[in-house]
Amino acid sequence: MDQLHRFFSYCSENPKVNGGFSSPEERRHDTTLLYEMTASKITLPERRRLNKLILPLQQGPDLTLGQFLKTVEECCPQTAYAVKLRLHEMADGELKDMEYFFSTLPTPFTAFDTEAYKTSVVGLFMRHMLLAYNKLSFSQVYKLYKSLQHYYHSHYAKPMDGQVPALVADDSEMDLTSIEDTVGDRVDKEELDTPLHESELRSDNTPSRGPLSQKQAEYFLARQAYLLKNDENKALKPAALQEELNNMLKFNPDFAEAHYLNYLNSMRVQDIFLSAHSLLHYFDRLILSGNDGKSNGDEGYGRSLRYAALNLASLHCRFGHYQQADLALQEAIRIAQESNDHVCLQHCLSWLYTLEQMKGSDSTVLTEDSVKMAAHFCLPYLASLGIQSLVQQGATQGKTAHKLMDALKDTDILHWKHSLSELIEISLAQTTSIWRMYGKSTMSLQQAQLLLNMSSLEPVNFGVQQNNTEAFAVVLCHLAELHAEQGLYGAVSEIIQHLKEQFPPHTQHAKLWMLCDLKIQFERHMNEGKYHLAEPLVTAITALNQLEGLYRKAQVLKAVNRSTEAYHILQQLQARCEKTKCTEMVIRVMLSTAELHWESSGFSTALPVLLQALALARQHHLQSLASETILHLAFTQLMLGVPEQALNVLHEAVEPILAHRAVMDKGCAMLLAARCQMAVAGFKPNRQGQADLRLAASALDTLNEAAAYFSQLNCKERLRDVHYLQAQLHRSLGQILESNKSAMLFRLLDQELQSPAPPVSMRL
Amino acid sequence: MAMFPGLNVPANSGSDHEMEDAQDLDALTLAKSYFDLKEYDRAAYFLKGCRSQKAYFLYMYSRYLSGEKKKDDETVDSLGPLEKGQVRNEALRELRVELSKKHTAGELDGFTLYLYGVVLRKLDLPKEAVDVFVEGIHALPLHWGAWLELSNLVTNIEMLKSLSLPDCWIKDFFMAHMYTELQMIKEALQKYQNLIEAGFSKSTYIISQIAVAYHNIRDIDQALALFNELREQDPYRIDNMDTFSNLLYVKSMKPELSYLAHNLVEIDKYRVETCCVIGNYYSLRSQHEKAALYFQRALKLNPRCLGAWTLMGHEYMEMKNTSAAIQAYRHAIEVNKRDYRAWYGLGQTYEILKMPFYCLYYYRKAHQLRPNDSRMLVALGESYEKLSQQAEAKKCYWRAYSVGDVEKMALLKLAKLHEQLNESDDAAQCYMLYIQDIFSCGEQLEHAEVSTALRYLGQYYFKNKLYDEASLCAQRCCDYNDAREEGKALLRQISQVRDQIETPSADLFAPLSNNNTPVRRVSPLNLISFTP
Repeated sequence: MDQLHRFFSYCSENPKVNGGFSSPEERRHDTTLLYEMTASKITLPERRRLNKLILPLQQGPDLTLGQFLKTVEECCPQTAYAVKLRLHEMADGELKDMEYFFSTLPTPFTAFDTEAYKTSVVGLFMRHMLLAYNKLSFSQVYKLYKSLQHYYHSHYAKPMDGQVPALVADDSEMDLTSIEDTVGDRVDKEELDTPLHESELRSDNTPSRGPLSQKQAEYFLARQAYLLKNDENKALKPAALQEELNNMLKFNPDFAEAHYLNYLNSMRVQDIFLSAHSLLHYFDRLILSGNDGKSNGDEGYGRSLRYAALNLASLHCRFGHYQQADLALQEAIRIAQESNDHVCLQHCLSWLYTLEQMKGSDSTVLTEDSVKMAAHFCLPYLASLGIQSLVQQGATQGKTAHKLMDALKDTDILHWKHSLSELIEISLAQTTSIWRMYGKSTMSLQQAQLLLNMSSLEPVNFGVQQNNTEAFAVVLCHLAELHAEQGLYGAVSEIIQHLKEQFPPHTQHAKLWMLCDLKIQFERHMNEGKYHLAEPLVTAITALNQLEGLYRKAQVLKAVNRSTEAYHILQQLQARCEKTKCTEMVIRVMLSTAELHWESSGFSTALPVLLQALALARQHHLQSLASETILHLAFTQLMLGVPEQALNVLHEAVEPILAHRAVMDKGCAMLLAARCQMAVAGFKPNRQGQADLRLAASALDTLNEAAAYFSQLNCKERLRDVHYLQAQLHRSLGQILESNKSAMLFRLLDQELQSPAPPVSMRL
Repeated sequence: MAMFPGLNVPANSGSDHEMEDAQDLDALTLAKSYFDLKEYDRAAYFLKGCRSQKAYFLYMYSRYLSGEKKKDDETVDSLGPLEKGQVRNEALRELRVELSKKHTAGELDGFTLYLYGVVLRKLDLPKEAVDVFVEGIHALPLHWGAWLELSNLVTNIEMLKSLSLPDCWIKDFFMAHMYTELQMIKEALQKYQNLIEAGFSKSTYIISQIAVAYHNIRDIDQALALFNELREQDPYRIDNMDTFSNLLYVKSMKPELSYLAHNLVEIDKYRVETCCVIGNYYSLRSQHEKAALYFQRALKLNPRCLGAWTLMGHEYMEMKNTSAAIQAYRHAIEVNKRDYRAWYGLGQTYEILKMPFYCLYYYRKAHQLRPNDSRMLVALGESYEKLSQQAEAKKCYWRAYSVGDVEKMALLKLAKLHEQLNESDDAAQCYMLYIQDIFSCGEQLEHAEVSTALRYLGQYYFKNKLYDEASLCAQRCCDYNDAREEGKALLRQISQVRDQIETPSADLFAPLSNNNTPVRRVSPLNLISFTP
């Protein structure tokens, strides 16, 4: 029975092929296993384990003998030993031993009571095997035997498992003397081989030396492709993979899939030439293999032509050659139209709107069409991809929140129904982003955690869960930024570290975390008042995102009091953002402009700008920006001498700020509230006026709170302001001790900061 | 003798060699006989103990050939298609190790060095192989086999220049051969001319090489003349006859091709060249299935025969079997990545499949390999035109004209493109150049559209009120059937207008003012603006 098994695998290896004997020796062990299973008495659980092993062995990739024996041993050591013995007998014996083995195989037609019955899995396999074996010519049988020997001896040539049985080792040595002409010859050969190993490093260093069998190759390709998709870090390094593929193609140039993997691999390293070359080569090859149906219909090579053009378009799109991509896409569309391939057309359409979006033009109508058509042709993936794209566009264009959320919810139902795990991830990432945009950090945080803790619907293959999609990158970036807002920089650096490992710099989504990392660093330096450190970051940010870079540049310039330049940049930026409908940026630019107006004491000129910003923010439901605008407004009012009004306005904003905003904003809001309270209380610096003591006391509380926030961020400049005000308040309340303490703290900070304190009144 | 022991060494070693030769003579003769009978293992066995250089070479060479023979036999009954690429000459590794030992010891002579080089090349170690071949050539400059092997490994002119080769007359042959391979035809022809003048005027090899060179630069008449001369001098020659048949094919010389095919079949019908010639013959008679069959046979005889793959692709194209054509072209590229015809053929296939953008890539590849071949440029231009990329198309056509348009189509296409874009001055200029070009080349081309050009020029001059030129064009138009009517019509119009002008009209100044506006006569310099 042992033999059956081996034989089996032989054929299953390559059933299409005449004879199916592509690399027979690799499977011989399976047959041996089966034989031994029936031949010897095995306990029931062991038998069950072995039976369970048969299918994976038959369908799985070819194993080395060592791996094979190990798996069998785990099930039943007794059988493993028997198999080993049997193989040893054959490999170290003569050709007749193998022939004898085949002749003793129970033919499936005679064996009724065994596993080898003709219709069983094993029986079928054996029939394949026997048929293939009987077809072999004499020289082929001899070759088969030789390869069995090679297979067997190559395992023992390098004892990797450390479990080489003494028996076998001895025997093989003895055999060497008998089989080879002379011992001397043999030794000579081995000696000769050593220099070769040194010089031919490239062929020997690779993980799999020499040619792979069809199954091994397929398994290898499938595994690498899966890893590339799901967890790139676990795949082979680009160079190593390239080498492996070259090796594979050298031995089997007709292996089209290898070209495709080559294409994917070249995309990893952004090699346009090689990837285009491999892609076209793959489709040239595919056209050959799909030759059967010459029709232009769903099958046949007309189909692969369409997808070839489409893939070319996506390639150019990935490399940012939009014009090229457009041409290729049009070509794909034309061919698909000619042959009435709606599915392909649908794919083309979704690429078309993606392309339009990338080019920066409005593609809502196209996307809507695409969704409708996709729904019509029952392509849920494309349909909900389209909806997600629509949601994204809608969010930036200020569609009402409930509509967007409704749409996402509906698609989510679709996703779960069809188990489109990839889209579920995207959907979660999108919700995270949308909540964040609306300024609901808690919701955003929750959604991010949901995605990160969700176990994927994708089957976990090769011990890898899908976790290097764009969705994960986006969510992790949000998470990092959210933590940074709360001043938890330790956690941030951990997240960034994880991102760095998960998405190495050369990969597709690496730019996401790079930008996020830079932004966080920039904010941090700005908060701590280290402008000289923030400035060099601006260049890096500009490289990744030009608009963002310009904005940050303006901020730095403003902070170091180069107002004119900052103003120019802001104007320029505003014009550009209004053109591209980048609302968030427009509002932020307006706020910065208003701050510039303050510096020149143009509080009344700042008012209209702020009101405009507020209207925009409300219109787009950008709550965080709205509350920030309100802060600015309140400050302006305070400066214009209507503190009561400012306090009223502030009350409106304080709640969302405390709930959702960054620690910095909380601090600012509190500081501002305290100042308003002081003003309302009629408190005037340096003059012992008739201050409302109750209000002053509550202002003190507010200040304490603000101080707590600022010290959390190590924002010394603000702390200095806080202490200054505290000292004054204490004094006016007659609390000399506290006043002195605050004054001392102020003095310490002032010395440390060196830069002269700007007038407290001049900033928010 | 005792005083000059050093002097004795060469004499001694010389006599040693002779002694060894004499000792091995019997074994060598026996082995040589076996070798001639293709019993390589047997030859090697009897040479095992021999120590002379000759015997050693024969020993090693027999082992090598035995390995090669077994490899070929194995391919026939391999265990499956997967082993196709895996059948190897098992002897190579052992040979390499033995030879490298001797090599480091400096015991190899010219022939064994050559063998060592061959082994290295077969093991895919081109760098090492080049070094060994160069060494072998230095040791034995007159062994053309080593030169030929070296020529296969030299990929570009820089590499060629960096080789240090012995200064021997045979080097000129090699350089000429290399120049032909690297498509530097002018230099190659010069070298061959020098060789002829130096006394090789009767060498059929040189004549054939020159003919091939002319073939490569598409100088068909010259090449044909040379081949005819060659056939006279060497009537039973089969080498290079496939190239000859290609030329005959291009010229559509059916009887000559038929004669050649019959002749070659009589000489030896199982030669790759013969099969290619027959394939061309059938192709010219539009029997494409049979043609493909013969190319397939050629490939069976030599699977690495590049030309046959490409030609087979062409045949499949004719049969509208695009997928088989793609397959054939891909095979050709696999054999030689620098085969521009295969790239071009792939481009054409996709063009037929109406994928102009897709085929751009292939045309570009072909153009890269033959930067100065107008056909690729015209093909590129056509693709760009189909993609409505007029600017690129214009550049391609103009460049095609600048590098010497073989098919004389580029200018016409350029002119039509300008016409479409309403750039009438440029269009007229191109038509003019086109007409000049057509007439200057003398022979009448089938597809010539001189009439179109004349018609357009006539209208153009008429519009610009250059009536003399217009009437000239119109008269020339009348020489062509398809434009005769329009030519006459134009002539009538011109005479009408002239009558009006000559009769003093009320508005005297109108024509004057018209004449005063300087009609833009396009100078050829203007066209340079869109040369890339």
